[in-house]
Amino acid sequence: MNFLLEGFFQAFSLLLSGNAETYSAIWATVRVSSYSIGSSLLIGIPLGFCLGYFDFKGKKPLRTIVDTLMALPTVFIGLLVYAFLTHRGPLGDFGLLFTLPGIAIGQTILALPLVIGLSATAVESMDQKLRIAIISMGANRTQLFLSSLWEARLGILAGAIAAYGRVMTEVGISMMVGGNIKWHTRTITTAIALETNKGQFGMGVALGLVLLAIALCVNVIVSFLRRRD
Amino acid sequence: MNHSYAGKTVLAIDHLKVQPASIIGLIGPNGSGKSSLLRLLGLIERPTQGEILFNGLRVEPFDDEARFRITLLPQEPILLKRSVLKNVAYGLKLRGKGKEVVQKANEALARVGLSAKDFSQRPWYALSGGEAQRVALAARLALKPKVLLMDEPTASVDAASAQLIKEASLRARKEMGTTLIVASHDWQWLYEICDEILHLFKGRIFGTGRETIIFGPWQDFGTGKRGKSLSDGQQLLVSAPPDREAAAVIEVLSVSDNGPTSPGEEIVLRGTVSRLSLERKTGQLFATILIADIPFTVGLTFQQGKEHTIFPGKTVFIRYRLDQIKWI
Repeated sequence: MNFLLEGFFQAFSLLLSGNAETYSAIWATVRVSSYSIGSSLLIGIPLGFCLGYFDFKGKKPLRTIVDTLMALPTVFIGLLVYAFLTHRGPLGDFGLLFTLPGIAIGQTILALPLVIGLSATAVESMDQKLRIAIISMGANRTQLFLSSLWEARLGILAGAIAAYGRVMTEVGISMMVGGNIKWHTRTITTAIALETNKGQFGMGVALGLVLLAIALCVNVIVSFLRRRD
Repeated sequence: MNHSYAGKTVLAIDHLKVQPASIIGLIGPNGSGKSSLLRLLGLIERPTQGEILFNGLRVEPFDDEARFRITLLPQEPILLKRSVLKNVAYGLKLRGKGKEVVQKANEALARVGLSAKDFSQRPWYALSGGEAQRVALAARLALKPKVLLMDEPTASVDAASAQLIKEASLRARKEMGTTLIVASHDWQWLYEICDEILHLFKGRIFGTGRETIIFGPWQDFGTGKRGKSLSDGQQLLVSAPPDREAAAVIEVLSVSDNGPTSPGEEIVLRGTVSRLSLERKTGQLFATILIADIPFTVGLTFQQGKEHTIFPGKTVFIRYRLDQIKWI
Protein backbone atom coordinates (compact mmCIF):
# COMPACT_ATOMS: atom_id res chain seq x y z
CA MET A 1 0.00 0.00 0.00
CA ASN A 2 2.98 2.32 0.48
CA PHE A 3 3.37 2.87 -3.25
CA LEU A 4 -0.15 4.30 -3.38
CA LEU A 5 0.54 6.72 -0.56
CA GLU A 6 3.82 7.68 -2.18
CA GLY A 7 1.85 8.18 -5.41
CA PHE A 8 -0.45 10.65 -3.65
CA PHE A 9 2.45 12.61 -2.20
CA GLN A 10 4.19 12.65 -5.57
CA ALA A 11 0.94 13.74 -7.22
CA PHE A 12 0.61 16.81 -5.00
CA SER A 13 4.26 17.64 -5.52
CA LEU A 14 3.86 17.44 -9.33
CA LEU A 15 0.75 19.60 -9.29
CA LEU A 16 2.04 22.18 -6.86
CA SER A 17 5.44 22.48 -8.53
CA GLY A 18 3.79 23.11 -11.90
CA ASN A 19 5.35 20.07 -13.61
CA ALA A 20 5.34 20.91 -17.33
CA GLU A 21 4.61 17.39 -18.58
CA THR A 22 1.65 16.99 -16.22
CA TYR A 23 0.20 20.36 -17.16
CA SER A 24 0.73 19.67 -20.87
CA ALA A 25 -1.52 16.59 -20.58
CA ILE A 26 -4.09 18.57 -18.57
CA TRP A 27 -4.12 21.39 -21.10
CA ALA A 28 -4.45 18.94 -24.03
CA THR A 29 -7.39 17.26 -22.31
CA VAL A 30 -9.17 20.52 -21.57
CA ARG A 31 -8.68 21.74 -25.15
CA VAL A 32 -9.73 18.57 -26.90
CA SER A 33 -12.73 17.94 -24.64
CA SER A 34 -13.86 21.54 -25.11
CA TYR A 35 -13.71 21.17 -28.90
CA SER A 36 -15.58 17.89 -28.88
CA ILE A 37 -18.26 18.80 -26.33
CA GLY A 38 -18.80 22.18 -28.02
CA SER A 39 -19.32 20.67 -31.44
CA SER A 40 -21.43 17.77 -30.17
CA LEU A 41 -23.76 20.18 -28.32
CA LEU A 42 -23.97 22.45 -31.34
CA ILE A 43 -24.94 19.59 -33.63
CA GLY A 44 -26.65 17.31 -31.11
CA ILE A 45 -29.10 19.65 -29.34
CA PRO A 46 -31.00 20.75 -32.48
CA LEU A 47 -31.04 17.16 -33.77
CA GLY A 48 -32.19 15.85 -30.38
CA PHE A 49 -34.87 18.52 -30.23
CA CYS A 50 -36.19 17.52 -33.66
CA LEU A 51 -36.08 13.84 -32.73
CA GLY A 52 -38.01 14.44 -29.51
CA TYR A 53 -40.39 17.15 -30.71
CA PHE A 54 -41.60 16.08 -34.13
CA ASP A 55 -43.49 12.99 -35.18
CA PHE A 56 -42.27 11.60 -38.48
CA LYS A 57 -42.07 8.33 -40.32
CA GLY A 58 -39.16 6.22 -39.12
CA LYS A 59 -38.85 8.06 -35.79
CA LYS A 60 -38.87 4.88 -33.69
CA PRO A 61 -36.16 3.03 -35.65
CA LEU A 62 -34.06 6.20 -35.65
CA ARG A 63 -34.47 6.49 -31.89
CA THR A 64 -33.38 2.86 -31.48
CA ILE A 65 -30.27 3.54 -33.58
CA VAL A 66 -29.39 6.62 -31.51
CA ASP A 67 -29.90 4.69 -28.26
CA THR A 68 -27.69 1.89 -29.55
CA LEU A 69 -24.96 4.33 -30.57
CA MET A 70 -24.87 5.64 -27.00
CA ALA A 71 -23.01 2.45 -26.10
CA LEU A 72 -20.57 2.68 -29.01
CA PRO A 73 -17.14 1.32 -27.85
CA THR A 74 -14.46 4.00 -27.88
CA VAL A 75 -11.89 1.70 -29.51
CA PHE A 76 -14.31 1.05 -32.38
CA ILE A 77 -14.75 4.80 -32.93
CA GLY A 78 -10.97 5.15 -32.66
CA LEU A 79 -10.51 2.47 -35.31
CA LEU A 80 -13.04 4.10 -37.70
CA VAL A 81 -11.67 7.60 -37.28
CA TYR A 82 -8.12 6.29 -37.67
CA ALA A 83 -9.14 4.56 -40.90
CA PHE A 84 -10.65 7.80 -42.24
CA LEU A 85 -7.79 10.08 -41.15
CA THR A 86 -4.81 7.91 -42.05
CA HIS A 87 -2.99 9.06 -45.20
CA ARG A 88 -4.58 6.17 -47.11
CA GLY A 89 -8.06 7.09 -45.85
CA PRO A 90 -10.63 9.40 -47.49
CA LEU A 91 -9.76 12.32 -45.16
CA GLY A 92 -6.03 11.63 -45.10
CA ASP A 93 -5.17 14.83 -47.01
CA PHE A 94 -6.34 16.99 -44.10
CA GLY A 95 -3.46 15.75 -41.96
CA LEU A 96 -5.58 15.34 -38.84
CA LEU A 97 -4.19 12.02 -37.64
CA PHE A 98 -2.18 12.34 -34.40
CA THR A 99 -3.55 15.84 -33.76
CA LEU A 100 -5.89 17.23 -31.13
CA PRO A 101 -8.58 18.13 -33.74
CA GLY A 102 -8.38 14.50 -34.90
CA ILE A 103 -9.10 13.29 -31.35
CA ALA A 104 -11.89 15.89 -31.11
CA ILE A 105 -13.58 14.42 -34.21
CA GLY A 106 -13.59 10.98 -32.62
CA GLN A 107 -14.82 12.29 -29.28
CA THR A 108 -17.58 14.26 -31.02
CA ILE A 109 -18.77 11.02 -32.60
CA LEU A 110 -18.66 9.47 -29.12
CA ALA A 111 -20.63 12.28 -27.45
CA LEU A 112 -23.14 12.97 -30.23
CA PRO A 113 -25.51 10.00 -29.62
CA LEU A 114 -25.59 10.84 -25.91
CA VAL A 115 -26.42 14.50 -26.55
CA ILE A 116 -29.03 13.66 -29.22
CA GLY A 117 -30.64 10.83 -27.23
CA LEU A 118 -30.78 12.63 -23.88
CA SER A 119 -31.93 15.92 -25.48
CA ALA A 120 -34.69 14.00 -27.28
CA THR A 121 -35.72 12.38 -23.99
CA ALA A 122 -35.78 15.79 -22.27
CA VAL A 123 -37.92 17.29 -25.02
CA GLU A 124 -40.25 14.27 -25.11
CA SER A 125 -40.81 14.51 -21.37
CA MET A 126 -41.95 18.13 -21.64
CA ASP A 127 -45.65 18.71 -21.16
CA GLN A 128 -47.22 18.54 -24.61
CA LYS A 129 -49.50 21.40 -23.67
CA LEU A 130 -46.49 23.67 -23.20
CA ARG A 131 -46.52 24.22 -26.96
CA ILE A 132 -50.07 25.59 -26.71
CA ALA A 133 -49.06 27.87 -23.85
CA ILE A 134 -46.06 29.28 -25.74
CA ILE A 135 -47.92 29.83 -29.03
CA SER A 136 -50.88 31.36 -27.24
CA MET A 137 -48.58 34.02 -25.80
CA GLY A 138 -47.70 35.13 -29.33
CA ALA A 139 -44.46 33.27 -30.05
CA ASN A 140 -43.35 32.81 -33.65
CA ARG A 141 -41.69 29.58 -34.83
CA THR A 142 -38.17 30.56 -33.75
CA GLN A 143 -39.37 31.77 -30.36
CA LEU A 144 -41.35 28.53 -29.96
CA PHE A 145 -38.18 26.51 -30.67
CA LEU A 146 -35.99 28.55 -28.33
CA SER A 147 -38.56 28.67 -25.52
CA SER A 148 -39.20 24.93 -25.75
CA LEU A 149 -35.46 24.31 -25.67
CA TRP A 150 -35.13 26.53 -22.63
CA GLU A 151 -37.95 24.65 -20.88
CA ALA A 152 -36.10 21.38 -21.47
CA ARG A 153 -32.80 22.88 -20.32
CA LEU A 154 -32.34 20.77 -17.17
CA GLY A 155 -32.72 17.50 -19.09
CA ILE A 156 -30.44 18.75 -21.86
CA LEU A 157 -27.89 19.84 -19.26
CA ALA A 158 -27.95 16.35 -17.78
CA GLY A 159 -27.24 14.97 -21.26
CA ALA A 160 -24.38 17.42 -21.72
CA ILE A 161 -22.82 16.39 -18.39
CA ALA A 162 -23.11 12.70 -19.26
CA ALA A 163 -21.48 13.38 -22.64
CA TYR A 164 -18.73 15.47 -21.05
CA GLY A 165 -18.02 12.70 -18.57
CA ARG A 166 -17.71 10.16 -21.38
CA VAL A 167 -15.44 12.41 -23.44
CA MET A 168 -13.18 13.27 -20.49
CA THR A 169 -12.65 9.69 -19.42
CA GLU A 170 -12.25 7.86 -22.73
CA VAL A 171 -8.86 6.33 -23.62
CA GLY A 172 -9.47 4.40 -26.84
CA ILE A 173 -9.94 7.33 -29.25
CA SER A 174 -7.23 9.48 -27.71
CA MET A 175 -4.77 6.60 -27.87
CA MET A 176 -5.56 5.42 -31.41
CA VAL A 177 -6.25 8.74 -33.15
CA GLY A 178 -3.95 10.93 -31.04
CA GLY A 179 -1.08 8.49 -30.73
CA ASN A 180 -0.25 9.60 -27.16
CA ILE A 181 2.51 11.94 -28.33
CA LYS A 182 4.23 13.69 -25.44
CA TRP A 183 3.72 17.51 -25.40
CA HIS A 184 1.24 17.24 -28.29
CA THR A 185 -1.58 14.72 -28.05
CA ARG A 186 -1.01 13.13 -24.69
CA THR A 187 -4.18 13.58 -22.68
CA ILE A 188 -4.84 12.85 -19.02
CA THR A 189 -6.28 9.39 -19.66
CA THR A 190 -3.58 8.24 -22.09
CA ALA A 191 -0.94 9.61 -19.75
CA ILE A 192 -2.40 7.68 -16.80
CA ALA A 193 -2.42 4.47 -18.88
CA LEU A 194 1.18 5.02 -19.96
CA GLU A 195 2.55 6.08 -16.58
CA THR A 196 0.83 3.18 -14.82
CA ASN A 197 2.41 0.76 -17.30
CA LYS A 198 5.76 2.32 -16.47
CA GLY A 199 5.07 1.98 -12.75
CA GLN A 200 4.97 5.77 -12.29
CA PHE A 201 1.98 5.92 -10.01
CA GLY A 202 2.66 9.48 -8.89
CA MET A 203 1.88 11.11 -12.19
CA GLY A 204 -1.03 8.69 -12.75
CA VAL A 205 -2.60 9.61 -9.41
CA ALA A 206 -1.92 13.32 -10.00
CA LEU A 207 -3.68 13.24 -13.33
CA GLY A 208 -6.49 11.13 -11.88
CA LEU A 209 -6.99 13.78 -9.17
CA VAL A 210 -7.13 16.48 -11.82
CA LEU A 211 -9.83 14.52 -13.72
CA LEU A 212 -11.78 14.26 -10.49
CA ALA A 213 -11.34 17.99 -9.82
CA ILE A 214 -12.59 18.89 -13.30
CA ALA A 215 -15.63 16.63 -12.84
CA LEU A 216 -16.29 18.28 -9.47
CA CYS A 217 -16.02 21.78 -10.97
CA VAL A 218 -18.44 20.94 -13.78
CA ASN A 219 -20.96 19.49 -11.35
CA VAL A 220 -20.66 22.44 -8.95
CA ILE A 221 -21.35 24.82 -11.85
CA VAL A 222 -24.33 22.75 -12.99
CA SER A 223 -25.74 22.54 -9.45
CA PHE A 224 -25.39 26.31 -9.15
CA LEU A 225 -27.25 26.82 -12.43
CA ARG A 226 -30.01 24.44 -11.30
CA ARG A 227 -30.36 26.15 -7.93
CA ARG A 228 -30.49 29.55 -9.63
CA ASP A 229 -33.47 28.26 -11.62
CA MET B 1 -64.66 24.79 -41.17
CA ASN B 2 -63.87 21.13 -40.71
CA HIS B 3 -61.25 19.70 -38.42
CA SER B 4 -60.22 16.11 -37.95
CA TYR B 5 -57.69 14.11 -35.99
CA ALA B 6 -56.44 10.83 -37.50
CA GLY B 7 -59.25 10.95 -40.07
CA LYS B 8 -61.99 11.42 -37.47
CA THR B 9 -63.94 14.66 -37.81
CA VAL B 10 -64.10 16.49 -34.50
CA LEU B 11 -65.50 19.79 -35.73
CA ALA B 12 -67.81 20.70 -38.58
CA ILE B 13 -68.98 24.31 -38.45
CA ASP B 14 -70.54 25.93 -41.48
CA HIS B 15 -70.25 29.50 -40.32
CA LEU B 16 -69.60 31.28 -37.05
CA LYS B 17 -69.36 35.02 -36.60
CA VAL B 18 -68.23 36.69 -33.38
CA GLN B 19 -68.82 40.39 -32.78
CA PRO B 20 -65.97 42.44 -31.31
CA ALA B 21 -66.13 42.94 -27.53
CA SER B 22 -68.86 40.35 -27.15
CA ILE B 23 -68.87 37.42 -24.75
CA ILE B 24 -69.57 34.04 -26.29
CA GLY B 25 -70.13 30.94 -24.18
CA LEU B 26 -69.42 27.46 -25.43
CA ILE B 27 -71.21 24.61 -23.75
CA GLY B 28 -71.46 20.95 -24.51
CA PRO B 29 -70.44 17.60 -23.09
CA ASN B 30 -66.82 16.44 -22.94
CA GLY B 31 -65.57 15.56 -26.40
CA SER B 32 -68.10 17.82 -28.11
CA GLY B 33 -65.34 19.88 -29.74
CA LYS B 34 -65.16 22.93 -27.43
CA SER B 35 -61.41 22.70 -26.84
CA SER B 36 -60.73 21.94 -30.50
CA LEU B 37 -62.72 25.00 -31.55
CA LEU B 38 -60.81 27.17 -29.07
CA ARG B 39 -57.46 25.83 -30.32
CA LEU B 40 -58.45 26.67 -33.89
CA LEU B 41 -59.75 30.13 -32.99
CA GLY B 42 -56.61 30.67 -30.90
CA LEU B 43 -54.53 29.88 -34.01
CA ILE B 44 -52.76 27.04 -32.27
CA GLU B 45 -53.75 24.66 -35.05
CA ARG B 46 -54.81 25.08 -38.65
CA PRO B 47 -58.27 23.71 -39.56
CA THR B 48 -58.22 20.67 -41.83
CA GLN B 49 -60.63 22.52 -44.14
CA GLY B 50 -62.01 26.01 -44.13
CA GLU B 51 -60.67 29.31 -42.92
CA ILE B 52 -60.64 31.71 -39.99
CA LEU B 53 -60.94 35.44 -40.56
CA PHE B 54 -59.83 38.06 -38.07
CA ASN B 55 -60.83 41.65 -38.77
CA GLY B 56 -61.80 40.43 -42.24
CA LEU B 57 -58.40 38.93 -43.03
CA ARG B 58 -57.64 35.25 -43.31
CA VAL B 59 -55.33 34.25 -40.47
CA GLU B 60 -53.24 31.17 -39.74
CA PRO B 61 -51.01 30.02 -36.86
CA PHE B 62 -47.94 32.27 -36.36
CA ASP B 63 -49.43 35.07 -38.51
CA ASP B 64 -48.07 38.41 -37.33
CA GLU B 65 -51.48 39.98 -37.92
CA ALA B 66 -53.16 37.92 -35.24
CA ARG B 67 -50.63 36.26 -32.92
CA PHE B 68 -50.22 39.39 -30.78
CA ARG B 69 -53.96 40.00 -30.55
CA ILE B 70 -55.49 36.59 -29.89
CA THR B 71 -54.59 34.51 -26.86
CA LEU B 72 -55.83 31.29 -25.35
CA LEU B 73 -55.96 30.32 -21.68
CA PRO B 74 -55.84 26.50 -21.62
CA GLN B 75 -57.79 24.47 -19.09
CA GLU B 76 -54.67 23.37 -17.23
CA PRO B 77 -52.42 26.23 -16.17
CA ILE B 78 -49.20 25.40 -17.99
CA LEU B 79 -46.52 27.73 -16.70
CA LEU B 80 -43.00 28.10 -17.99
CA LYS B 81 -40.27 26.88 -15.66
CA ARG B 82 -39.42 30.31 -14.35
CA SER B 83 -40.62 32.79 -11.75
CA VAL B 84 -44.15 34.21 -11.67
CA LEU B 85 -42.88 37.60 -12.89
CA LYS B 86 -41.01 36.03 -15.81
CA ASN B 87 -44.09 34.00 -16.71
CA VAL B 88 -46.29 37.08 -16.80
CA ALA B 89 -43.61 39.07 -18.62
CA TYR B 90 -42.96 36.37 -21.24
CA GLY B 91 -45.58 37.52 -23.76
CA LEU B 92 -44.66 41.17 -23.24
CA LYS B 93 -41.02 40.40 -24.01
CA LEU B 94 -42.06 38.57 -27.19
CA ARG B 95 -43.70 41.84 -28.18
CA GLY B 96 -40.49 43.73 -27.51
CA LYS B 97 -41.86 45.72 -24.58
CA GLY B 98 -38.63 45.94 -22.65
CA LYS B 99 -38.94 48.95 -20.38
CA GLU B 100 -42.46 48.68 -19.07
CA VAL B 101 -42.44 44.90 -18.63
CA VAL B 102 -42.19 44.75 -14.84
CA GLN B 103 -44.80 47.45 -14.29
CA LYS B 104 -47.25 45.88 -16.74
CA ALA B 105 -46.67 42.42 -15.28
CA ASN B 106 -47.29 43.69 -11.75
CA GLU B 107 -50.49 45.41 -12.89
CA ALA B 108 -51.68 42.21 -14.51
CA LEU B 109 -50.96 40.25 -11.32
CA ALA B 110 -53.00 42.78 -9.36
CA ARG B 111 -55.91 42.26 -11.79
CA VAL B 112 -56.14 38.61 -10.73
CA GLY B 113 -55.74 39.37 -7.04
CA LEU B 114 -52.08 38.42 -6.68
CA SER B 115 -49.76 40.82 -4.93
CA ALA B 116 -46.56 41.41 -6.88
CA LYS B 117 -44.66 41.71 -3.61
CA ASP B 118 -45.65 38.21 -2.48
CA PHE B 119 -45.79 36.41 -5.80
CA SER B 120 -43.55 37.94 -8.47
CA GLN B 121 -40.38 36.12 -7.40
CA ARG B 122 -42.04 32.82 -6.59
CA PRO B 123 -40.96 29.89 -8.77
CA TRP B 124 -43.57 28.20 -10.95
CA TYR B 125 -43.72 25.11 -8.73
CA ALA B 126 -44.55 27.01 -5.53
CA LEU B 127 -48.11 27.86 -6.53
CA SER B 128 -51.44 26.22 -5.82
CA GLY B 129 -53.65 25.18 -8.77
CA GLY B 130 -55.80 28.29 -8.38
CA GLU B 131 -52.80 30.61 -8.10
CA ALA B 132 -51.17 29.03 -11.16
CA GLN B 133 -54.34 29.55 -13.20
CA ARG B 134 -54.50 33.17 -12.06
CA VAL B 135 -50.84 33.68 -13.05
CA ALA B 136 -51.62 32.14 -16.45
CA LEU B 137 -54.57 34.54 -16.84
CA ALA B 138 -52.45 37.50 -15.70
CA ALA B 139 -49.86 36.59 -18.37
CA ARG B 140 -52.61 36.91 -20.96
CA LEU B 141 -54.29 40.00 -19.56
CA ALA B 142 -50.90 41.78 -19.55
CA LEU B 143 -50.99 41.53 -23.35
CA LYS B 144 -54.26 43.50 -23.55
CA PRO B 145 -55.59 41.00 -26.08
CA LYS B 146 -58.33 41.75 -28.58
CA VAL B 147 -59.60 38.18 -28.18
CA LEU B 148 -59.25 36.09 -25.04
CA LEU B 149 -60.24 32.44 -25.39
CA MET B 150 -60.70 30.56 -22.14
CA ASP B 151 -61.04 26.79 -21.91
CA GLU B 152 -62.78 25.80 -18.68
CA PRO B 153 -60.98 28.57 -16.77
CA THR B 154 -62.55 27.72 -13.43
CA ALA B 155 -62.81 23.95 -13.74
CA SER B 156 -59.95 22.96 -11.48
CA VAL B 157 -59.58 25.90 -9.13
CA ASP B 158 -60.90 26.81 -5.69
CA ALA B 159 -63.97 29.02 -5.29
CA ALA B 160 -61.99 32.17 -4.44
CA SER B 161 -59.73 31.79 -7.48
CA ALA B 162 -62.77 31.07 -9.68
CA GLN B 163 -64.39 34.29 -8.51
CA LEU B 164 -61.22 36.32 -9.20
CA ILE B 165 -60.80 34.75 -12.64
CA LYS B 166 -64.40 35.55 -13.54
CA GLU B 167 -64.05 39.15 -12.33
CA ALA B 168 -60.72 39.72 -14.12
CA SER B 169 -61.97 38.36 -17.44
CA LEU B 170 -65.13 40.49 -17.35
CA ARG B 171 -63.07 43.54 -16.42
CA ALA B 172 -60.89 42.92 -19.48
CA ARG B 173 -63.98 43.09 -21.68
CA LYS B 174 -65.19 46.23 -19.99
CA GLU B 175 -61.88 48.12 -19.86
CA MET B 176 -60.02 46.84 -22.91
CA GLY B 177 -62.89 45.85 -25.18
CA THR B 178 -61.62 42.28 -25.26
CA THR B 179 -63.81 39.71 -26.97
CA LEU B 180 -64.25 36.76 -24.63
CA ILE B 181 -64.96 33.23 -25.82
CA VAL B 182 -65.42 30.95 -22.85
CA ALA B 183 -65.93 27.19 -22.76
CA SER B 184 -67.34 26.15 -19.41
CA HIS B 185 -69.58 23.68 -17.66
CA ASP B 186 -70.65 26.52 -15.37
CA TRP B 187 -73.88 27.15 -17.27
CA GLN B 188 -75.26 29.54 -14.73
CA TRP B 189 -72.24 31.83 -15.01
CA LEU B 190 -72.31 31.71 -18.79
CA TYR B 191 -76.01 32.55 -18.93
CA GLU B 192 -75.39 35.49 -16.64
CA ILE B 193 -72.54 37.02 -18.63
CA CYS B 194 -72.76 35.89 -22.25
CA ASP B 195 -74.18 37.78 -25.19
CA GLU B 196 -74.54 34.49 -27.00
CA ILE B 197 -74.23 30.86 -26.04
CA LEU B 198 -73.33 28.16 -28.51
CA HIS B 199 -74.12 24.57 -27.78
CA LEU B 200 -71.65 22.12 -29.27
CA PHE B 201 -72.45 18.49 -29.73
CA LYS B 202 -70.39 15.99 -31.70
CA GLY B 203 -68.44 18.84 -33.25
CA ARG B 204 -71.45 20.77 -34.49
CA ILE B 205 -73.05 23.92 -33.21
CA PHE B 206 -76.74 23.72 -32.58
CA GLY B 207 -79.00 25.91 -30.52
CA THR B 208 -78.24 28.10 -27.60
CA GLY B 209 -77.75 25.55 -24.89
CA ARG B 210 -81.27 25.86 -23.52
CA GLU B 211 -82.24 22.63 -25.23
CA THR B 212 -82.58 19.49 -23.20
CA ILE B 213 -80.41 16.76 -24.67
CA ILE B 214 -80.92 13.21 -23.53
CA PHE B 215 -78.24 10.74 -24.51
CA GLY B 216 -78.79 7.12 -25.52
CA PRO B 217 -78.76 4.14 -25.22
CA TRP B 218 -82.52 3.65 -25.62
CA GLN B 219 -84.61 0.73 -24.49
CA ASP B 220 -87.42 -0.89 -26.44
CA PHE B 221 -90.44 -1.19 -24.11
CA GLY B 222 -92.50 -3.17 -26.70
CA THR B 223 -95.73 -2.12 -28.38
CA GLY B 224 -93.77 0.53 -30.29
CA LYS B 225 -92.63 2.38 -27.16
CA ARG B 226 -89.00 3.36 -26.75
CA GLY B 227 -87.23 5.38 -24.12
CA LYS B 228 -85.54 5.13 -20.76
CA SER B 229 -86.65 3.72 -17.42
CA LEU B 230 -85.93 6.38 -14.85
CA SER B 231 -84.74 5.71 -11.32
CA ASP B 232 -88.01 7.04 -9.83
CA GLY B 233 -90.10 4.52 -11.79
CA GLN B 234 -91.26 6.90 -14.53
CA GLN B 235 -90.70 6.16 -18.20
CA LEU B 236 -89.14 8.80 -20.44
CA LEU B 237 -90.64 8.03 -23.85
CA VAL B 238 -89.14 9.13 -27.16
CA SER B 239 -89.93 8.74 -30.87
CA ALA B 240 -88.04 6.15 -32.92
CA PRO B 241 -84.30 6.94 -32.57
CA PRO B 242 -82.13 6.68 -35.71
CA ASP B 243 -79.74 4.48 -33.76
CA ARG B 244 -79.46 3.12 -30.22
CA GLU B 245 -76.87 5.70 -29.14
CA ALA B 246 -78.46 8.79 -30.75
CA ALA B 247 -79.16 11.85 -28.60
CA ALA B 248 -82.66 13.30 -28.37
CA VAL B 249 -83.32 17.03 -28.22
CA ILE B 250 -86.53 17.50 -26.26
CA GLU B 251 -88.39 20.77 -26.24
CA VAL B 252 -90.48 21.17 -23.12
CA LEU B 253 -93.82 22.73 -23.99
CA SER B 254 -94.99 23.72 -20.55
CA VAL B 255 -94.53 23.44 -16.82
CA SER B 256 -97.47 23.16 -14.49
CA ASP B 257 -98.48 22.20 -10.99
CA ASN B 258 -100.89 19.55 -12.31
CA GLY B 259 -100.15 16.01 -13.47
CA PRO B 260 -101.70 14.20 -16.44
CA THR B 261 -105.44 14.75 -16.69
CA SER B 262 -106.49 12.76 -19.74
CA PRO B 263 -104.64 10.56 -22.23
CA GLY B 264 -103.28 12.70 -25.04
CA GLU B 265 -100.35 13.15 -27.36
CA GLU B 266 -98.31 14.97 -24.77
CA ILE B 267 -95.93 13.10 -22.50
CA VAL B 268 -96.08 14.26 -18.90
CA LEU B 269 -93.26 13.71 -16.40
CA ARG B 270 -93.00 14.66 -12.75
CA GLY B 271 -89.90 16.39 -11.46
CA THR B 272 -88.42 18.83 -8.99
CA VAL B 273 -87.25 22.35 -9.72
CA SER B 274 -83.53 22.35 -8.90
CA ARG B 275 -82.44 25.79 -10.12
CA LEU B 276 -83.79 29.06 -11.40
CA SER B 277 -81.58 31.36 -13.44
CA LEU B 278 -82.02 34.67 -15.16
CA GLU B 279 -80.65 35.40 -18.62
CA ARG B 280 -79.52 38.96 -18.12
CA LYS B 281 -79.60 39.92 -21.78
CA THR B 282 -83.21 38.80 -22.46
CA GLY B 283 -84.61 38.95 -18.94
CA GLN B 284 -85.96 35.43 -19.38
CA LEU B 285 -86.10 32.96 -16.53
CA PHE B 286 -84.82 29.44 -16.98
CA ALA B 287 -85.81 26.61 -14.69
CA THR B 288 -83.81 23.41 -14.41
CA ILE B 289 -86.13 20.60 -13.51
CA LEU B 290 -84.76 17.27 -12.39
CA ILE B 291 -86.79 14.36 -13.73
CA ALA B 292 -85.28 11.53 -11.67
CA ASP B 293 -81.59 12.38 -12.34
CA ILE B 294 -82.02 14.01 -15.74
CA PRO B 295 -82.00 17.82 -15.88
CA PHE B 296 -84.57 19.43 -18.22
CA THR B 297 -84.21 23.12 -19.03
CA VAL B 298 -87.35 25.14 -19.47
CA GLY B 299 -87.62 28.78 -20.47
CA LEU B 300 -90.24 30.83 -18.62
CA THR B 301 -91.45 34.36 -18.84
CA PHE B 302 -91.35 36.29 -15.60
CA GLN B 303 -95.17 36.13 -15.58
CA GLN B 304 -95.19 32.33 -15.96
CA GLY B 305 -92.69 31.99 -13.15
CA LYS B 306 -94.84 34.15 -10.94
CA GLU B 307 -98.08 32.43 -11.97
CA HIS B 308 -96.87 28.94 -11.14
CA THR B 309 -94.80 30.10 -8.18
CA ILE B 310 -91.78 28.19 -9.43
CA PHE B 311 -89.08 27.85 -6.82
CA PRO B 312 -86.29 25.33 -6.22
CA GLY B 313 -87.55 22.23 -4.42
CA LYS B 314 -91.08 22.47 -5.79
CA THR B 315 -92.61 19.42 -7.51
CA VAL B 316 -93.86 20.27 -11.01
CA PHE B 317 -94.96 18.50 -14.18
CA ILE B 318 -93.42 19.05 -17.61
CA ARG B 319 -95.00 18.27 -20.97
CA TYR B 320 -93.43 17.47 -24.35
CA ARG B 321 -94.52 15.87 -27.60
CA LEU B 322 -92.95 12.85 -29.24
CA ASP B 323 -93.34 14.30 -32.74
CA GLN B 324 -91.32 17.37 -31.74
CA ILE B 325 -88.27 15.42 -30.61
CA LYS B 326 -85.20 16.04 -32.78
CA TRP B 327 -82.38 13.51 -33.10
CA ILE B 328 -78.68 14.31 -33.36
